[in-house]
Amino acid sequence: MNDRVLVWDLPLRIFHWVLAASFAGAFLTAESERLRDVHVLCGYTFAGAIAFRVVWGFAGTRHARFSALRFRPAAILRELQALVRGRPQRHVGHGPIGAVMIPLLLGLGAVVAASGWATYAQAGEWLEELHEGAAVAMLVVVIGHVVGVVATSVLSRENLVVPLLTGRKPRAAGGGIASSRPLVALLLLAALAALWVPGLAARDERLAERRAHVAELGGGGRSHHGD
Amino acid sequence: MRFAIPLAAALALGPMTARAERPADFEARFAQEARRADPSFAGFSAARGRTFFTTRQGGDWSCSTCHGDVPTAIGEHAVTGKRIEPLAPAANPERFTKPASVEKWFKRNCNDVVKRACTAQEKGDVLAWLMALPAKETR
Repeated sequence: MNDRVLVWDLPLRIFHWVLAASFAGAFLTAESERLRDVHVLCGYTFAGAIAFRVVWGFAGTRHARFSALRFRPAAILRELQALVRGRPQRHVGHGPIGAVMIPLLLGLGAVVAASGWATYAQAGEWLEELHEGAAVAMLVVVIGHVVGVVATSVLSRENLVVPLLTGRKPRAAGGGIASSRPLVALLLLAALAALWVPGLAARDERLAERRAHVAELGGGGRSHHGD
Repeated sequence: MRFAIPLAAALALGPMTARAERPADFEARFAQEARRADPSFAGFSAARGRTFFTTRQGGDWSCSTCHGDVPTAIGEHAVTGKRIEPLAPAANPERFTKPASVEKWFKRNCNDVVKRACTAQEKGDVLAWLMALPAKETR
């Protein structure tokens, strides 16, 4: 492990997996009114993750910064050609495709989160359609991202997923970072707990209340109106 | 230029395909589907629709759990407590005017209540009842 160098700081790694999990969770709960509150919790988590990433793009470590992402169409083309030829290039931080992927995902994610919030606030049906459309567009980009990462990992024989857990890449890859920023990571985890612990407790309370209400009525909104 | 005619046609026909429908249009479509599923289909029943709507169908929710027993009134979401606009067309003229919306909510809510897709017979029965509800029972 000594020949490996720290590239991704801990808050960045937490962000990545929280974003992925909240996106997946929101998709899985999207079509259920029973789980609407869980969907909304996933949405707040997702929105918080995106907001954090924007801050971290300015305040994070070297490879997390937006200044490290440069939009170079020619470089993207070279990267794609190299990938198709089965000889993908290696990068210490984000490659040219990542430099496009990150703003694209963050931008789409911001639209998904904002329109989802507006839908929940019952601000209009067109926002619901925007929310669904943007979420599907993001799913397409996410699938492209996953396929790209798997293809690159297989072709270059360099696993790109493991560094997003350990933070480390082979030393040969180049310059690393000094700190994994554990304090910020701790703050992130605390924020997550502050959202989900009361959120799930409120859900349990509501469900219990509902059950009591149903028992009082004598069963699931059953009516015997004689109108 | 060779795209001018198809383009003009698309512009003219586009709004027509997305035009607002009336509740009776949905009822007619459900009837067609029900007949296709069962040749002995004998029409919709508002009474059967009311029973389907207001009683539980094996799960812990009925349609009324959120929409209320008389859906000319405002309903309340069983989980979030959010306001649900009346479902009966007489009380809310926006209901049963958009095919995409009707399809989406039947699909989602049938899953919540009966844990499967509703049949055309069930949807038609419920719609027949909703269409028969007078506006005056509001609130």
